[in-house]
Amino acid sequence: MVTWTMNDNEKLKSTIKKNLDVRASDETHDHMRSIVLDAHGRARETASANPLTLTRSILMKNPITKLAIATAVAVAVLIGIGVFTSSGSGVVWAEVAQRVQASRGVIFRLTEEIEPDPYSQRVDFSINHYSSTQARLDRYIGDEVANTMYNNCDTKTVILVDHVHKSYVQDTNAKGMPDSLGIADPNNMIERFLATEHRELGQRTIDGVLCEGIETTDTALYGTKNPPDSLTAQIWVSVETGYPVRCESEHVRDNGQKRLKWVTDQFQWDVDLDEQLFEPDVPADYIDISPDEW
Amino acid sequence: MRIIEDELLKWRFKRGSREALARIYEKYVNALLSLAMGLLNDPHEAQDVVQDVFVSFAQGAESFTLTGNLRAYLARSVVNRVRDRRRRQRSQQRRVDVLATTAGGSTVIDRTLVYNERCERLSAALEQLPYEQREVVVLKVKHDMTLREIARIQGVSISTVHGRYRYGLDKLRALLNGDMDHE
Repeated sequence: MVTWTMNDNEKLKSTIKKNLDVRASDETHDHMRSIVLDAHGRARETASANPLTLTRSILMKNPITKLAIATAVAVAVLIGIGVFTSSGSGVVWAEVAQRVQASRGVIFRLTEEIEPDPYSQRVDFSINHYSSTQARLDRYIGDEVANTMYNNCDTKTVILVDHVHKSYVQDTNAKGMPDSLGIADPNNMIERFLATEHRELGQRTIDGVLCEGIETTDTALYGTKNPPDSLTAQIWVSVETGYPVRCESEHVRDNGQKRLKWVTDQFQWDVDLDEQLFEPDVPADYIDISPDEW
Repeated sequence: MRIIEDELLKWRFKRGSREALARIYEKYVNALLSLAMGLLNDPHEAQDVVQDVFVSFAQGAESFTLTGNLRAYLARSVVNRVRDRRRRQRSQQRRVDVLATTAGGSTVIDRTLVYNERCERLSAALEQLPYEQREVVVLKVKHDMTLREIARIQGVSISTVHGRYRYGLDKLRALLNGDMDHE
């Protein structure tokens, strides 16, 4: 019989860590891998391309994107949304889309909440800088920048600098700009809103700015491939400047089991962003932990 | 180190990268199998759960959110699947009895999963804990989750999780007394 001591809990934990060790046999490993990758391939094949999936201001500036905006506006007109007329306040939504398209650069904050939260080490918010060809995302935990992601569309390079662990990874063969914000991208959001059925919310003062808002509960806002169960999303645009001031979305998935809310705010539109902002700043003592191949 | 690499893996995965998915699979499949085994004490069920988690993950690239810890996300997915199975099995009372044990410390291979006899005994002991305690012990010790994170997953207070952890370890220690790595 063994007598357990003060250190027994540590020994027990060590035992669990070491002995609860299960691996897939080579055959099983390869078999499961094949099933997983096949599922991924089928999902991609069957997914219908979303005609409104645009992610970056660089995309917003090209002719194809302009056509997409025109299409979105046309859809809105067909379903009776007054995108070419103001609702009494001066905000003309078609002009908002155009104004956003013409913005040289934008800075904004993104905050997300997920319930139940499946994550550890969640960042509190990110401050994002987008130019026409580059993006920088600073993710904060408290007042500290936990990590920074640099995306350069010209060089097809993505670098993620982890300040917590003093390391970085780089991908020098990234194709195009990342879809790292997805639906929360303000450029993307305006356009998607215009293509959904929505209602006017009237005026409200947000952060001291008189705004006019619209709201949608149309799950098509998130595309047809994997829409949420339900959602409520709003955009608020400054009456004075015609630029978005706040976007927010809350939706549920998995029969109500999962709730995701995000807010983009603190916008600075049409700013000239210093190129230096997008120069990856990797301190000399940070370790490159990029994998040999992606 | 792992977290920052995961950031790019998530990013590439969300953009449809098959290679990123393959790498995520390679990276976490065995950790998730160990987790599932600790929760289910059944290698075949564990394999099914982990396969289901990865298949669902592979199919949901577009809806996958990009903040947070990938490892924790996958672990939570395993926990959810295990709970679903337990709910179903309570009505079926099914129990798959599988591997014959071999001599101490030797490796058991059933052409699906590989683990040794100590793992098998540990898994069997874990199964004797109330499920909530088992979940806490495995997530905390094997998966390095904090009590706060586990409290979120279980939908209870941190003090409740702490109690489950303490009672779970105590009982497990009694069950394994003299049977494990006590040197």
